[in-house]
Amino acid sequence: MGGNEEKIREVAGRLLRDGEVNLIIGHERGTLPLRSSPCFVTDPEDLDRLIWDPTCDINLAKYLHGRDERVGILAKGCDARSIVVCASEGQVEMDRVVILGLPCHGVINRKNIESEIAGREILEAIVTDEIITLKGEGFEEVLPTETFLDDSCMSCRHRTPPVYDVLIGEPLPEASEDDGYAEVNELESKSAEERWDHFVDEISNCIRCYSCRDVCPMCYCKECFVDETMPAWFGKTNEITDTMIYHVVRAIHLTGRCVDCGACSRACPMHINLRALTKKAEKIARDRFNFEAGISLEDTPVLGTFKQDDSEEFII
Amino acid sequence: MKHMTIAKDGIRDFIDRLVKRCRVIAPVESGKILRFREVSSGEEACFDFHNTKLSPKEILFPQNEVLFKYSKGRGAIEAEAGPSKNGEWVIFGIRPCDARGITLTDLFFSSGEHKDLLYLEKRGRSALVGFACIHPLNTCFCTSTGGNPFGREGMDLLLVDLGERYLVEVLTERGERLIEADRGLKDASEVDVDTANKLSRVAEKSLRTRLQMEGLSEKLDGMFEDPLWDRVHQKCVGCGVCTFVCPTCWCFDVVDEETADSSSRIRLWDTCQFPLFTLQGSGFNPRPTGKERMRQRVMHKLNYFFREHRAFACVGCGRCVRECPVNLDIREIIRTIMSE
Amino acid sequence: MTNPYIPHISVLRKIKTENAVNDIKTFEVEFEDPEVARGFDYKPGQFGMVSYFGAGECPIGFASSPMDKGILQFTIKKVGVVTTALHNSLVGEKIGVRGPYGNGWPVEEMEGHDVLIVGAGFAFTTLRSLVKYILHEDNRERFGDLTVIYGARNPGELIYKYDLSEWEKSNEIDLILTVDRGDESWTKREGYVPTILEEVSPSSKNAIALICGPPIVIRLSMPILTKLGFPPDKTCLSLEMRMKCGIGKCGRCNVGNRYVCQDGPVFTMKELQEMPKEY
Repeated sequence: MGGNEEKIREVAGRLLRDGEVNLIIGHERGTLPLRSSPCFVTDPEDLDRLIWDPTCDINLAKYLHGRDERVGILAKGCDARSIVVCASEGQVEMDRVVILGLPCHGVINRKNIESEIAGREILEAIVTDEIITLKGEGFEEVLPTETFLDDSCMSCRHRTPPVYDVLIGEPLPEASEDDGYAEVNELESKSAEERWDHFVDEISNCIRCYSCRDVCPMCYCKECFVDETMPAWFGKTNEITDTMIYHVVRAIHLTGRCVDCGACSRACPMHINLRALTKKAEKIARDRFNFEAGISLEDTPVLGTFKQDDSEEFII
Repeated sequence: MKHMTIAKDGIRDFIDRLVKRCRVIAPVESGKILRFREVSSGEEACFDFHNTKLSPKEILFPQNEVLFKYSKGRGAIEAEAGPSKNGEWVIFGIRPCDARGITLTDLFFSSGEHKDLLYLEKRGRSALVGFACIHPLNTCFCTSTGGNPFGREGMDLLLVDLGERYLVEVLTERGERLIEADRGLKDASEVDVDTANKLSRVAEKSLRTRLQMEGLSEKLDGMFEDPLWDRVHQKCVGCGVCTFVCPTCWCFDVVDEETADSSSRIRLWDTCQFPLFTLQGSGFNPRPTGKERMRQRVMHKLNYFFREHRAFACVGCGRCVRECPVNLDIREIIRTIMSE
Repeated sequence: MTNPYIPHISVLRKIKTENAVNDIKTFEVEFEDPEVARGFDYKPGQFGMVSYFGAGECPIGFASSPMDKGILQFTIKKVGVVTTALHNSLVGEKIGVRGPYGNGWPVEEMEGHDVLIVGAGFAFTTLRSLVKYILHEDNRERFGDLTVIYGARNPGELIYKYDLSEWEKSNEIDLILTVDRGDESWTKREGYVPTILEEVSPSSKNAIALICGPPIVIRLSMPILTKLGFPPDKTCLSLEMRMKCGIGKCGRCNVGNRYVCQDGPVFTMKELQEMPKEY
C-alpha cells in the first residue's frame, strides 16, 4: 500500500490540474496513532496530505452523497463496491465520479491492537502492510499486520476493486478460500433462544449513537426509519427490544447492499460486533439470489429486481 | 485538610463496607468496555484504567429516565418520578475531568428560573470519590479548559496512587462521613503528602496537549459566519458519539412510551448533531445541514456557555477525540480558531 | 421536590374549528384541580407545554387572555404527532398542561404607548391574547391607540372570526384585515400583510410594534417598520422553536447564549440582531 502514495498524489494532481475533477476525497494522517481521517483536497498544493496505508479504514464512499462537484475518490475494493451499489440505486452519478482504485492488503482493527497492548497508551505508530511498530512510554512493540487486520479483511475477496477508472498499484491476487461465514454459520447452528441471548448480550451496551448507520455509505435515507414518527415503528430508548429492532432492521435494509467493509463495527464506540448481523444479511443475498453487491455497474438492486427464477419460498 | 492513607489491596474491602450503608457506583467491565455501574462488592470494580468509555454523567443523568408515569386511561398522573431506592450513593473512581464535568452539569441544571430538580435531587445525595490522574493520556487537555489532573473540583475525597497505598484527601464533610472511623484508613505521613504533591507536578507537566484557550470565546463572538465552518464539518458523518460520551453534553428528548404494564414519559439523551433536533412542525429547520449543527456544537461549548457561565462546556477529557469514527479532533478545531 | 416535568391535568371543555380546511382548532380546557385553576396566571405571549398522554408534549402559546379566568384556550394547527392526537380528541378528554413559560409580550413597557400589532396567519394566536387583554375594561385606559393589521392567505384562513367581527365594531381598536387573495364575498382589503402595513403607515410616535407571522412576512415587514420610524428596541417578535422541556434544559431551543423558552419567545429586534440567525 505504501509506495503508492507518490502515484496517488500524482494521479490526483493530474485530475485536479486538468480540471477533470474539482475535488479529491482521500485519507490523511489522523491526529492520533493508528488513525487516518477523511481528506478533502481542492488545491493541488495540498496533495501531500494524501496517504495510503493500513490505517485508511474509513469507507470514503459515504462522502459522495449529495455532491455537485466532479469528484476523484480513492477507493479500496469495498469502497468501490459501495460506490457501485449507490450508483445502482441512483444516489451517485458515475459520470461525475473518477474512481482511483487502490488494491488493498487490508486495514487494521485498532480495537484488537489496543487490546493486545493491554491498556498501555500508544504514543506513536507506523503501519505498513507487513508490520505495525508501536511506541509508548517505556515500550516498543512490533506486531505482524496480518494478525491485526480487521475481520472483514481476513475474508476479503475483492482486494482489487472490481470497478475503477484508474488503478493505482498492481492488482492483487484474490486471497482466501475462507468465505468469512464461520461466525454466521456458528450462530445459525444455535437455537433461537441461544441466538436471542447471544445478541441481547452483544448489543446490551448499545447507546443508540447511530455511528454504525452514519459511517455506512448505504445508509443515506433522508429520514431514517428510526426517526419516523407517524407512525413510529419502535422506541428510541435503550429498551433491549427497541435496540434489537434497530440493529436487525438495519441489517435487513442492507440485504444485498452491504459489502462487508466493516466500517460499522470499527466505528462502534461500545465495541459491539455488528458484522454478525450484516454478514448474515450478505449471506442471504448470496444464498437466495446468488448475488454479491457492488461487483458490476450493470447490476440492479437485488431486492428491487424480479427475475423469473427468483426463489419464492419466503412468499408462501 | 485531612490526609489519610489506605492500602492498595484495602480498597476493595473498603468498598465492601461502604456497600452496606450506601449504593456504590464504580468502573466495571461491561462487554469489552469500561463503564460506571452499581457494584455489590469491591471485587466487581476495576481500578486499573485510564478512564471509562462513557462519562459518569450516565449515573446522575441517565440515558433513559422516567419523568413520571400516567394511567392507562391517559387521564391521570400515576407516579411521580423518584428514586426507586433512596439513600446516598457514592461514585467511586471518578477522574478530575469528569468530576469537573459534574460541577458544570450542576451549574447548568440549576440555572434559570426553572431548575431541573430531578437531577439536583440525585446530585444532592451523591458523593464523588476521585482518582487523581498520575498518567494523563495524549488526548487529555484538562489544563487547557481550566482543570487539572489532580483537580479537586466537585469531589468529596481524592485518592492518589502512591504505589502500595492510596493517599486519601478529605475534601468535604460528606467525604469525612464516608471514611469515618473506617478501620482500613490510617493517618497519612508527611512523606505521603509530599509524594502526592510531586506526582501532581509531574502529571501536570506531562500533559502533551496544551491549547491556548484564553480569549477563545471572545474570538468566536465574531465568527458565526466564518468560512471555517464550511471546512470543519466536511468529514463529520453526523452521528451522536461525541455528544454521548461527553461529560458536558446534556441535551435530551422526551417521549411517551406505553407497554402492557405501564405508561411513562421518559427523557433520553439526544444530540444537536441529529437533523431532527431542531426540525419544526412546519418542516422548517433552522439548522438544515451538518455545517450548522457542527457550528452549534462548537459555539455552544466554547462560546455561548462560556458567555453565560465563564467556563467552557468542555473539560478536556478527550473522549470525543478518541471515539469519533472519522477522527474529527476538537483540539484541531480550537487551534484553527485561535490561529485565525 | 416538585418535578418540573409533571403537567397538571385539565379537561377539554370546548373544541372550535377555526379555519375552512379544518386544520386549526381552538381548544378550551379547565384544570381538574380547582386549586391549580385558582393559582394559574400568565401574561399574553407566554406559552404552556400541552400534553396528549401517549403522543407527547409540545409548546403552545396561550390564545386566551389572562383576564378570562378559570379557562385556558390554545389554538393548535395539526402538523405532527401531538397536534394530530389533539385534533382527534373529544370534549371531556383529559390533557396535560404545564406552565406558564416564556417571557410574554412586554405589557408593562407598552403601557402609556400606542400599540401596533401586525399578525399573519396562524401565528396570530398569542397576539389575540394580547389584544383581548388590552381591550379588557380593566386595562384599556393604560394603553394608547391600538392598531391591528391582521392578514391571512385567504378569507377561510382567518382565525378568530368571532373576535374579529366584535373588534371591527369597537371604537377602542382600529382593526385592518387583509387577505392575500379574496373570494367572491370578500369586500375588505386585498394584499400581503407587509404591503398593507406600508399602505396604512401607522405612526411610530410613542408607539411599540409587535409582529408575529411566518418568517417571510416578518422579513418583509421589518424594513417597513424601520422606515416608519420604529426603532429596533421598540419592535417585538415572538419566535417559534421546537421545544421539549420548556424550561431551558433540553437544549433544543438554544440560539446563541439564549434559550427561546426562557429568554423568549418574545424578543425585541435589537436583541435578535445580537443573536445568531438560527431561528
